[in-house]
Amino acid sequence: MVLGEYMFANRLARLVPVALLLATAAAGTAQAATQGSLGTTSTGSVLINASVAGRVQISGLTNVTFADVDAGSAVFNAQDVCVWSNTAGRKYKITASGDGSGNAFTLASGALTPVNYTVEWNKAAGQNSGAALATGVTLASQDSLATAPTCASGPTKSASLIVRMDAANLQNMQAGATYAGTLTLVVAPE
Amino acid sequence: MRDRQGRGGSRLPRPFLALLLAAFAPTQAHAQERFVNIGNLADYDFGQITNLSADQLLARDLCVYSAKTTPGYSVRASGSGTGGAFTLAGGGSTLGYEVQWSALAGRTTGTILQPNVVLSGLRTSAIQQNCNNGPTASASLIVVLRATSLQTALSGTYSGTLTIIVGAE
Repeated sequence: MVLGEYMFANRLARLVPVALLLATAAAGTAQAATQGSLGTTSTGSVLINASVAGRVQISGLTNVTFADVDAGSAVFNAQDVCVWSNTAGRKYKITASGDGSGNAFTLASGALTPVNYTVEWNKAAGQNSGAALATGVTLASQDSLATAPTCASGPTKSASLIVRMDAANLQNMQAGATYAGTLTLVVAPE
Repeated sequence: MRDRQGRGGSRLPRPFLALLLAAFAPTQAHAQERFVNIGNLADYDFGQITNLSADQLLARDLCVYSAKTTPGYSVRASGSGTGGAFTLAGGGSTLGYEVQWSALAGRTTGTILQPNVVLSGLRTSAIQQNCNNGPTASASLIVVLRATSLQTALSGTYSGTLTIIVGAE
């Protein structure tokens, strides 16, 4: 090796560890486990890593019953429910669907003509109105105050579900007949 | 004259040398007997946790050696949270964890450690400071992420350091 090559190699040998140290520091790499040494006390350490997935939960739902309603005026039912999200800002999105034809929001009674109902969602509890939901269409940018998955601690409810039937649909219902349907709500982290 | 002094310095009376050795040898042995070592520690990577309804547990074997004739030791742990708390940071919040210690290897449960609180009265089976001979591990360090903590934390990536200090007993 000629003198020039030797000097270059020697300089490289000194620079590589420094470069590696700088690269590690720049990358913010956490230090791995360290081992103790023999002494009157001995100290070691470990790194603990975990990643928590984004999750949501809806709970506290109750069935909706309109009994012996006056067909002359619209009716509605508002209930408080719990929606919990662990994402930043506790954000979520919600999608509703009925069990009518094409997942329509309808109530059925055997061979009788189904009647329609409407659904509204409010991201706050204790509300009697909210954003109208269309079946299968996602309502995004909702956020929750709930801090526990079933609102066991913190706020006991966090959102409002409102179901409405207008007078026109009530007047299409046959008296004495029982109409029923299932409304499904899907929440997802956002 | 210098020569005599030099020779005289290397010619200490044998009884005097024996006294010196007798005086220092037990002290050195006594000091070594108080030595302990913790080794074979490994990181705890829980990966992505998708089931927030179940506790997540990782248990690892490690080597604690005590040079004492009766190989006793104590252990103390501290986390990287405030005041040594067992918390991981990140994800816009903190994620608390639980630390357990067993003086036996291969365990998934042990005594719950509190931050900076000494657990004493432990005994090790290790006969070599790195467990290269005899038992390959002598204790278990268990880290638990409770479901309640997982549900309290926001989604995201968390990290922290757990420091373990052992002392001879």
